[in-house]
Amino acid sequence: MSEGGKIRVVVLGGGTAGWMSASALAKLLGPRIAVTLIESEDIGIVGVGEATLPHIRGFVERLGIDEADFMRATHATYKLGIDFRDFGRIGESYIHPFGTFGEKVAGVPFHHYWLELAARGMAGPIGDYSLAVEAAKANRFAPPAEDDSLRSTYGYAYQFDATLFGPYLRDFALPLGVTRIEGLVTEVLQDAESGDVTALKLADGREVAGDIFVDCSGFRSLMLGATLGEDWEDWSHWLPCDRAAAMPTAHVDREIAPYTTAVAMPAGWRWRIPLQHRMGNGYVFASAFVSEDEACEAIRAAAAGDRLAEPRVLRFRPGRRKQSWSRNVVGVGLASGFLEPLESTSLYLAQIAITYLIELFPADGRIDDRDRDEFNRLIDMEYDRIRDFLILHYHATVRDDAPFWDHVRTMAVPDTLQRKLELWREAGRVELYSEGLFYDASWIAVYMGQGVLPERHDPRAAIPDPERMRGAMDALKAAIAGEVAAMPGHRAYLTARAERLAAAP
Amino acid sequence: MSAAREPLRRALIVGAGQVGVLAAVAIKRASPATDVLVVGTPLDPVAFADHIGTALPFTNRLHDRLGIDEEVLVRRAGASHRLAIRYVGWAGAGSVGLTAYGGAVDPKLNSAFAREWGGGAHRAASGAPAGSVGAALAEAGRFMPPSGDAPSPLAEVDYALRWNAPAYRDLLIGIAAQLGVRHHPGPVSAVQPMLDGGIAAIQLAGGDAVAADLFIDASGTAALLSATQPDRRWIDWRGALPARSLAVGRPDAPRLDLADRVAFTDAGWCWEQAGRDGVTRFLAVPGEVSDAAVETALGAPPADRFPIDAGRQDQPWTGNVVAIGDAAARFEPLAGVALDLAHRQIDLLLDLFPGRAIDPRERAEYNRRFALMADGTRDWIASHYAAPAAAHRLAALDRSPALDRMLDQFARRQRLPITEEATVSTSEWAALLHALGVPARRSALSLAEGDDPGRRAAAALDHKIAAALDAAPPYGAWIAHMLRDLSPNSSP
Repeated sequence: MSEGGKIRVVVLGGGTAGWMSASALAKLLGPRIAVTLIESEDIGIVGVGEATLPHIRGFVERLGIDEADFMRATHATYKLGIDFRDFGRIGESYIHPFGTFGEKVAGVPFHHYWLELAARGMAGPIGDYSLAVEAAKANRFAPPAEDDSLRSTYGYAYQFDATLFGPYLRDFALPLGVTRIEGLVTEVLQDAESGDVTALKLADGREVAGDIFVDCSGFRSLMLGATLGEDWEDWSHWLPCDRAAAMPTAHVDREIAPYTTAVAMPAGWRWRIPLQHRMGNGYVFASAFVSEDEACEAIRAAAAGDRLAEPRVLRFRPGRRKQSWSRNVVGVGLASGFLEPLESTSLYLAQIAITYLIELFPADGRIDDRDRDEFNRLIDMEYDRIRDFLILHYHATVRDDAPFWDHVRTMAVPDTLQRKLELWREAGRVELYSEGLFYDASWIAVYMGQGVLPERHDPRAAIPDPERMRGAMDALKAAIAGEVAAMPGHRAYLTARAERLAAAP
Repeated sequence: MSAAREPLRRALIVGAGQVGVLAAVAIKRASPATDVLVVGTPLDPVAFADHIGTALPFTNRLHDRLGIDEEVLVRRAGASHRLAIRYVGWAGAGSVGLTAYGGAVDPKLNSAFAREWGGGAHRAASGAPAGSVGAALAEAGRFMPPSGDAPSPLAEVDYALRWNAPAYRDLLIGIAAQLGVRHHPGPVSAVQPMLDGGIAAIQLAGGDAVAADLFIDASGTAALLSATQPDRRWIDWRGALPARSLAVGRPDAPRLDLADRVAFTDAGWCWEQAGRDGVTRFLAVPGEVSDAAVETALGAPPADRFPIDAGRQDQPWTGNVVAIGDAAARFEPLAGVALDLAHRQIDLLLDLFPGRAIDPRERAEYNRRFALMADGTRDWIASHYAAPAAAHRLAALDRSPALDRMLDQFARRQRLPITEEATVSTSEWAALLHALGVPARRSALSLAEGDDPGRRAAAALDHKIAAALDAAPPYGAWIAHMLRDLSPNSSP
């Protein structure tokens, strides 16, 4: 260890994951560590994660970053959920909100009462009973309340320009003492005995030595994959999409949707993410079912608004390294694994890896096997739970209009997902867990939205008088409508807080 | 389109202790049209969940949901509040650590600095600062339960109730009768199992066979109904939990105390439960402890002594039979955990409330979540034996991988991994390990933060404690106030 007894942390890669890692490490462990980040202008960044999850707010707050400043720098808009179209069946759509549907009554979750009334033809779509869904559909936004009221039943995230987030964090991290080195890594030097990485050798001959290395080199996975040879667990049999064609367009509407749209396509799906000054678009597709050229043509044809650039194709593999922390190398972001952006989980996965790295960071710089195991246990759990949730979006469909949909509809799913599906179909219950992502409201949104309805629901839902239940549900719907009406439009909200707005390009 | 499941026509509960009767109340409240019948069984003195009159804070929520009024428990069942537990002798001779219920403990107070310097009154008596509002109130003997309406400095304080078990059971029986729960004195003379698991009917002494859609086995350690089920598997916990018997002392004179005392002795842990009807000592005795040592630890020969065969059922719900309480799991009943787990099982049953036809997937989900809860309870008890004095005195015990990981993470950085379905929060667990004197180093994050956050958290806690002490009357005065207007003519 050098540099005044500080533990030397070397981050490889100047993309979003790299600068997220460097800034969080420097901010939270600053007095104990010296952070160096190596990046090269010759290597482009993927810039995944235009759409985020509410967790990103925790990251920004923990770093002490001002929301308005951050939103202005990244051209961010607010996000209340994702609008999924044509997934369960062509012509159908639903919003997966950052929020709940109704609330438990007498210990019975709301959706059982909804099922009871829906069977009697007395209920509207379940989204009618979610404030987040209704606000999104009305293009309105206001921050949630911090009490127990109806206005506290949702959360929000951001839609932003991911290529601006990394540079923004770079400007944040450099004053914290992060050393930035511009250079191409040509060799990863390892200790002959232990196999630990000792230094990264640059093209100009410099060697950057360290105690702990964070691999943010993206899909190349230069240390974790290429050097240490960590095995890859491939999930493409469940998640066949392996390419994305991304293309920005100009806004067509004056209003900015406070939600991301995901539209199912013949061989995958396409996103539409409204930022302050433009729209992000992209077609996530399976190359086994459609060629790159066809996909690019499809996104050109489908994306509304003037093209601001030609489609750019990204290639990826769904899956994860069997170990994300190996020896003294910790993978963060794409170097450790990839799950397609259907539920905006990319930045979340980078964030959670950074969180656990900081929680498990060796106080004396010496890595303990037990901490590596704990890190890998937690990361595996996160990946596995998200994986099952993503697979559900493809599998829960009646679509038979394209070979891609035939494949995902009929494929065998992981046992862990099969069990969840059966419990839902037979009894209308959601398997409960409290760690990781996506709890019951999310599962209910996708199940219901994609037409996976239970065959039976809780016997207690049939006890109250249906007319009274209808009255209560109507009252909730009306209360939601009242709240939505009181919210400003999304663009109006942003405009009224102009410190959040970037200068027009 | 989905259809509501046909409701239970009849639910039959075998066992009329405080566990069985509460289960009956819960089912009747959930499904008033269901015919709920409780059948008495011979008293099982070894069923700790049925005989020990206390649980944990979770029970207050369940009581609320079932319409069991805390004030009525105070007035009619001798109830009193336990805010904290005082651990004595766990870190070594003479050591004292006080830990309160509640998940609101600021983790920053777990830093060595905050524990040594922060957090409220620095009492000369115990030497240990209070780590929470609850602990400070317990030390000061001041408390009243917050009403829940107006914001109160006491609102964050969590507590467990202790009560007189026979009086509590009588009260539950009254509520059950009012709801229309039927009762048969029993006993069960025969069980008619179904071939592929489950029970068709039970034969009652001097009567007909009674069929039901759902059977609850609350018969205690005999597990009268579960025992008839094929492929029953028992998971042995004796490697993880050392006590082989529970010695119970003769009750001492009543004492009001907001904390119970749990001492580590040469004869195992000794829990002294304070209460308005007397103070009872429970001693969890490992194997190979002499009777003389038991007597020394209790201060007198035990009034009773019961075996503990620690373990749990692999699948407490088989067919249409759900075992709860001691029929499902047995273990050292440390300070309310026995009834707590039984109540969590009742709550879980309400979560996954079945219809007439039992769904095998729902049953599997119940068994999955029960296993997590029960194993969490086992690990909670087992973690007490990680205390320095216990580790020194007893041979090494088996630890589940989860507990092993937790103790290791705690020792090296005071980090507590999340345990799914755990019966206590991670901050409560951390507070326990600190109270037991388990040594713990600071994390890299805590070292980088320095002592300022701990100092600030301690100062904030001081304010909260001062406000709470100000708002709370002496506990004895509050109890007296509650009982004052209790006369034969003004029954609540």
